[in-house]
Amino acid sequence: PARSAEQYCSLPPPMNIHFESSNMKNVLHWSPPEGVGDGVFYRVKYLVYGENKWIKKSECQNIDRTWCDLSSDTYDHEKQYYASVKAFLEGNCSSWAETERFNPLTDTQIDPPAVTVSSTEKSISIVLTAPEKWKRTPEDKSVPLVHIYSVLQYNVSVLNKKTNKKWWFSIKSNTLIVPRLESNTVYCISVQTHVRIPRLFSGFSEESCIATLKDPNAEHA
Amino acid sequence: RTGFTAIKANIQARDTVRTTSILSFPYSLHRVNSEDTCCIIHHLLKFYVDMVFKHCETEDSWVNRKISSIANSFLSIKKNFRHCHQQSLCRCGEEATQKYKQILTNYSQLNVKNAAMKSLGELDILLDWMEKAY
Repeated sequence: PARSAEQYCSLPPPMNIHFESSNMKNVLHWSPPEGVGDGVFYRVKYLVYGENKWIKKSECQNIDRTWCDLSSDTYDHEKQYYASVKAFLEGNCSSWAETERFNPLTDTQIDPPAVTVSSTEKSISIVLTAPEKWKRTPEDKSVPLVHIYSVLQYNVSVLNKKTNKKWWFSIKSNTLIVPRLESNTVYCISVQTHVRIPRLFSGFSEESCIATLKDPNAEHA
Repeated sequence: RTGFTAIKANIQARDTVRTTSILSFPYSLHRVNSEDTCCIIHHLLKFYVDMVFKHCETEDSWVNRKISSIANSFLSIKKNFRHCHQQSLCRCGEEATQKYKQILTNYSQLNVKNAAMKSLGELDILLDWMEKAY
């Protein structure tokens, strides 16, 4: 008969169980139990901290992969969560392995903003679009992270590709005009999102490069 | 915040009761009305100083140093808040009073050491709410 989940289990538990979170898309990951071969399958459950019941994640029962997307179950970023995984192999089972308490607000990795640049002869203007919280469906209303984190700013680097000179700007708004540049010169811009409370940093965006326009007077000189 | 982040996993691992919360039961601090915010923060600063930090001694001196530095920060914030309270800028309505009573009830359901350690482990809940509220 199939072994009931709570009976004696001697299989070692799954290892390194943790959430990997990006813009609050929260995916549970783990490693197989030590020293077991193929054929292991897993069951996942989760709990909202402070509520008194564990909830089976229906899409992650008897699975053989080592991840489970709990984004919709942990969507409320004002709550905290635990998740737990149990391994099964040939009628044997493991104890439940549990994550640390997961707080979507502080334990997520945020993206850099989207960067749009345009130029004139002597200046470059930069428009930033804040990263958004993960959406359950494409039709869901977008929630920019700037609406969640009250103290969010951007660190902007501007590199003159001719002289290799670099400037840094720290801005709260999502637009920046860099004046008094050299005409007919390529500049490359890279931007990082920085949440000051709680302290979160994104990586830097890919370089967006643009040339300032030629100075018409210079041609006739 | 940085001090707590450094010891968060250590402190929360000591709290084995996943199914109850001191600050979030029956409802989250985020549901508190904005006009009650000042009163609840005033009460919770006092709660943490008088009923939490002093019961959170651990066997790890590094963790203890982090806890006492957090406690000192709370003491200085509490001093500032006392000024508001004295100027009666910190109105305590019925709902705020009820919410704080519930927190004390949740705390009293556990023995002092466990209740204090659980409260300390919920500091990110408090800080998340305070940072959003102000």
